[in-house]
Amino acid sequence: MKILGISAHYHDSAAALVVDGVPVAAVQEERLSRRKNDATFPISAIEWCLDRAGVDPSDLDAVVFYERSMLKFDRILTCALRAFPHSWRSFPNAIKNSLGEKVWVRGIITSHLGAPRRKIFFTDHHASHAAAALFSAPTRRAAILTADGVGEWATLTVGRGERRPDGAAEMTLQREIRFPHSLGMLYSTFTAYLGFAINEDEYKVMGLAAYGRPTMIEQVRTLIRSTPDGAFVLAPEYFEFQTTASRSYSSKFVDLFGPPRNPYDDIDLDSPEGRRFADCAASVQRVLEDVLVDIARQLRRETSLPDLCFGGGVALNGLANARILAESGFERVFVPPAPGDAGCALGAALYADRIYFGNPDRDVPDHPFWGPSVDAQELARASREDSHPVEELDDVPLMEAVADELAAGRIVGWMEGACEFGPRALGHRSILAAPHSREIRDRINRDIKRREEFRPFAPVVPAEAADRFFDLPPGGHRLGRFMSGVFPVRPEWRGRLAGVTHVDGSARVQVLERDMAPRLHALLEAYGRRTGIPVLLNTSFNVAGEPIVTRALEGYSTFRRCGIDLLVAGPTVVMKRGASPDRSLKEGVAWSSEGVARSGAV
Amino acid sequence: MPSVTKGAPLDRIMRPVHRWVWGDVDRRLRKLLTFADVETDGGRDILRAAEVTPDPLLRRLYLEHAIDELRHGELFRERGAALVRARRTWRKVLFAGNPLPGGHGLDDLSIEGQPDYRLLAFLHVAEKAAAGRFTIYRELVDDDPETRAIFEQILRDEVFHMNYTYTQLTRVSPQGYRRHVWHARAKRLWNRYLRIAAAMAGLFGGVALTAMYFVLLPPFVWFARRAERREPTGWTSISRNGNQSPRSQY
Repeated sequence: MKILGISAHYHDSAAALVVDGVPVAAVQEERLSRRKNDATFPISAIEWCLDRAGVDPSDLDAVVFYERSMLKFDRILTCALRAFPHSWRSFPNAIKNSLGEKVWVRGIITSHLGAPRRKIFFTDHHASHAAAALFSAPTRRAAILTADGVGEWATLTVGRGERRPDGAAEMTLQREIRFPHSLGMLYSTFTAYLGFAINEDEYKVMGLAAYGRPTMIEQVRTLIRSTPDGAFVLAPEYFEFQTTASRSYSSKFVDLFGPPRNPYDDIDLDSPEGRRFADCAASVQRVLEDVLVDIARQLRRETSLPDLCFGGGVALNGLANARILAESGFERVFVPPAPGDAGCALGAALYADRIYFGNPDRDVPDHPFWGPSVDAQELARASREDSHPVEELDDVPLMEAVADELAAGRIVGWMEGACEFGPRALGHRSILAAPHSREIRDRINRDIKRREEFRPFAPVVPAEAADRFFDLPPGGHRLGRFMSGVFPVRPEWRGRLAGVTHVDGSARVQVLERDMAPRLHALLEAYGRRTGIPVLLNTSFNVAGEPIVTRALEGYSTFRRCGIDLLVAGPTVVMKRGASPDRSLKEGVAWSSEGVARSGAV
Repeated sequence: MPSVTKGAPLDRIMRPVHRWVWGDVDRRLRKLLTFADVETDGGRDILRAAEVTPDPLLRRLYLEHAIDELRHGELFRERGAALVRARRTWRKVLFAGNPLPGGHGLDDLSIEGQPDYRLLAFLHVAEKAAAGRFTIYRELVDDDPETRAIFEQILRDEVFHMNYTYTQLTRVSPQGYRRHVWHARAKRLWNRYLRIAAAMAGLFGGVALTAMYFVLLPPFVWFARRAERREPTGWTSISRNGNQSPRSQY
């Protein structure tokens, strides 16, 4: 069967194609449209997935949308009614937003793909999260936990799933916590309070948390309290996200935590104000972890299963994941490479395949590389046209040459094969650098990523060397496979891994198995032979505000306008020229015709 | 500055309005922050053009142009941020947004699949209009040397952008360049009309929905609140597993 999964309209939209039970293509719309967090209907992603598999829309057996849009509309309307009359400002926008496009999903799919109504299916939002986590994990039986801002009504669900050897698959979500009681919303509210962009900058809160002390746990606990059955409720008087579109926290929240941060102010961690914000981040981070650990522990007791599949946007919180692994009793925690809403496209398709159609379960390849491939020839051609030095090398000399450059302190843009599905760069669209000094970290922050100083960079290490440098608990390798856990750097290595060690001595390490990305693995080994430390700084190949690069020319244009020294795509290596003749281009080609504009000829 | 940057007649007529906007610090910083977003978005669109054009010279020029636009965005943002820092009362309005996401605008520039002459004509017309307007803005912020300096710096770039887009347009379409420029002007006018129409429709829609909110909703509020009171706190068991139609949106 050929099943297309679609997620759209809220965060980053995406499409995924599953053929005979196995994914063949998956990509976020932002990677093709080049608009970060593009939430529009993912027509480019759909077209790419179908092209990739050589499938015509009429060949599709099913198109599955990742949530039930009318149920979501029901929630929006109900919340507006409950908040009457305070919701009067947000109501017109919410209705226009929903009735403008979001509730007409079936019609949109039909008009774009020509799919008849009988082929269009819907899943529950959290079932899509759960399926993405369960059916892509190398486990037979597992407990399931999903948590995000909100789906239709659910914000957090627990359940269990099984993939039997005879091919039958089962997935049951047993209970849920419903909107407005939401861990994701709690964290997003603090994200806004701390002056960051909601639905995008939550990881900045996590990074900032390491600089603070959890001195405000009592206050955060005022906002979220446990219920006797082990769940939680938010105290509504501290929040406004359920009533208005313009503000997520109330005046009472401000009374409790003090004035919010002006997003245009830098965070000065030496000032009392900066420390207050860091303490605030540390406190909400700690409470989030505590709540998740409690729920996971309860789930472990109920299911007695050793494995946990964890999905939803909250599963991007590597600190919480590491604590769940360490404290809940689960031996292994599986977080998919795209646990957020984009990953729901794949989850919805897998759910329909296994559950709706009862097709035999098949193992899903355990990697995130489902997107468009890089064309090294395209890069070579463009670089030559621009007179950049280009070399095309075989693998062994290429690894040696790039390792030399990295050891000499150069920053490398690294592209190979299919791009990652999900928010993390896991070795196919990465910026790589030596991990040893803070200077190089600061240089990447300043000249390339242009981001806040307090944010850490992640390391990538071969699996066989990981335990030497990082204090990984049992199950840590698995969590580190897709960079989903934060673990301590061993104290004796912190000085020599200063570029990737966060202020609290931790790192969000990627533990790389050779079979997942063999060329990057070879590069790490080559680098290790030179320096004795087979670890590299690995950050996503993009600059602030832009999606991760997909195609060679996107990598090339990023390389041209920021401080990357060397660009590698497959066998092609491009060096940056010393001088920039584009100044003379600007002055020569264009200024020579200044008279045209002066004359007012047009 | 070249005479071409004296401002379009409409902008000159609108000068009192511009003066009103730039005369107030709150409105000024709001405008600067809007410009920051517009310039950054424009820079990204032009960057995209650099990535998709088959013409090597245009790729280099687009890239230069994009870098300029992104830098302008940064300049506006920094200046706006400096003004925000001086106006603490702005905090509440500027952020604290709602995590429930919204939609997209009308104005996205379509790059993929567009011939270069169309984009060059569009850019030329847009840059020329922007240069004219920025000339007026520069004169209106005489009391604010830092903001004025930004406009001066940007104006120099805008003249380059106007010139190279026109020169390249004559190169890639020597026969039809004038037609393309007129077409771009007409398109710009049409887009402006669409923007105004959409704003009006949004306004009318908003008024109608607000009226409905106060007239139609109250009877249902009681039911919604009663249902809320009856909702159990904590876990809710999910009973619909397997019972819900896979074709249902509900």
